Amino acid sequence: MAGLVRAGFSLTRNAIFSTSVRSIATTAQLNLKAIREQTEGSTLVVEGVTVPSPRTELLIRAENVPVPAEDTALSTSEKPPCYMCALGLDVKHTDVLILSQFVRSDGCMLPRRITGLCRRQQKKIGKMVSMAQKAGLMINLTPEKCKKDPTKRREYKKFNTYFDERTIFMRKIPKPEDRFKR
Amino acid sequence: MSAAKRVQQWAAFARTWHIFDCKWQDPYDSANIIKKYLMGLHKPIYHPMNDCGDVVVCINSKEIALRGDEWRKRAYFHHTGYPGGASWTLAWELHNKDPTLIIKKAVYRSMKGNLQRRHTMERLFIYPGQEVPQDVMQNVTNQIRQLRLVPTRLDQIPEEVAKTYPKVMDYPEDYVLK
Repeated sequence: MAGLVRAGFSLTRNAIFSTSVRSIATTAQLNLKAIREQTEGSTLVVEGVTVPSPRTELLIRAENVPVPAEDTALSTSEKPPCYMCALGLDVKHTDVLILSQFVRSDGCMLPRRITGLCRRQQKKIGKMVSMAQKAGLMINLTPEKCKKDPTKRREYKKFNTYFDERTIFMRKIPKPEDRFKR
Repeated sequence: MSAAKRVQQWAAFARTWHIFDCKWQDPYDSANIIKKYLMGLHKPIYHPMNDCGDVVVCINSKEIALRGDEWRKRAYFHHTGYPGGASWTLAWELHNKDPTLIIKKAVYRSMKGNLQRRHTMERLFIYPGQEVPQDVMQNVTNQIRQLRLVPTRLDQIPEEVAKTYPKVMDYPEDYVLK
């Protein structure tokens, strides 16, 4: 009985709120927006301003890059590769100019529905972003109260660390063997 | 012997002083390089009984970089000889105590344990920072190439360069900038 009542509740609530509330929008939905806050006297005006994307002119896509025509295996496969796979760049965790494009201003990795990457690339880029942040290479993209400077961190975190990108997809990272052991 | 031949003879048997910048270098990888110069393995006249090793000056040993989580996983073992005298010091603890010890131990362990090793180590100078005494620096004539590129921090790149750098990702249409 209780289950029936609950089901009835959720049905009516869905009928009233689900689509009708969400579809209300005061600005154009499909546009890149920047949120601006202005204080005029005692009133705070928050508005979403439609802005053109600052990246469109500088964008590099594999379709526009001339390549020697030999990749027949890629074209025959059913699913087209995502743009990072198609570019075939060898990105390292020290390439902060590329990795910083995938993060928000607080250093947080963007989700896959925004980056538009494939699963594997999203995982790879996300790990490399965290590597760059642990190595202290992107200290201007951090939350407010964060230990920005690696030299001001504690214990083992304050010394320079580098990472090996081959470990990203390793199931079990092998112990570093002692090369000088006899 | 002509004058040119005489100079060639001096150059072949003279000790060369090399400098190595340890900034962002893995000490265990660079130890294998430093070892070759210290023992004279890079010379065609090398022989174990031939005293042809060079001098290596390591600078910036405070800024070495270890891989992954090795700062807290690698331990250095010491035993006093008394019962219960064993101690394990983590790499970051050792580096706090003396920033030259990790690179010194790495070079020491990369060489074979024979009677020559202690004498070869005498030719290795390690300095935690950039300051090298003048009487050491005036002999240096060669620089050993670094193994890894020193990474550039994003805040050290000028904003204009970062803004005009080619972009890979573009925001979707319904994204709110943060």
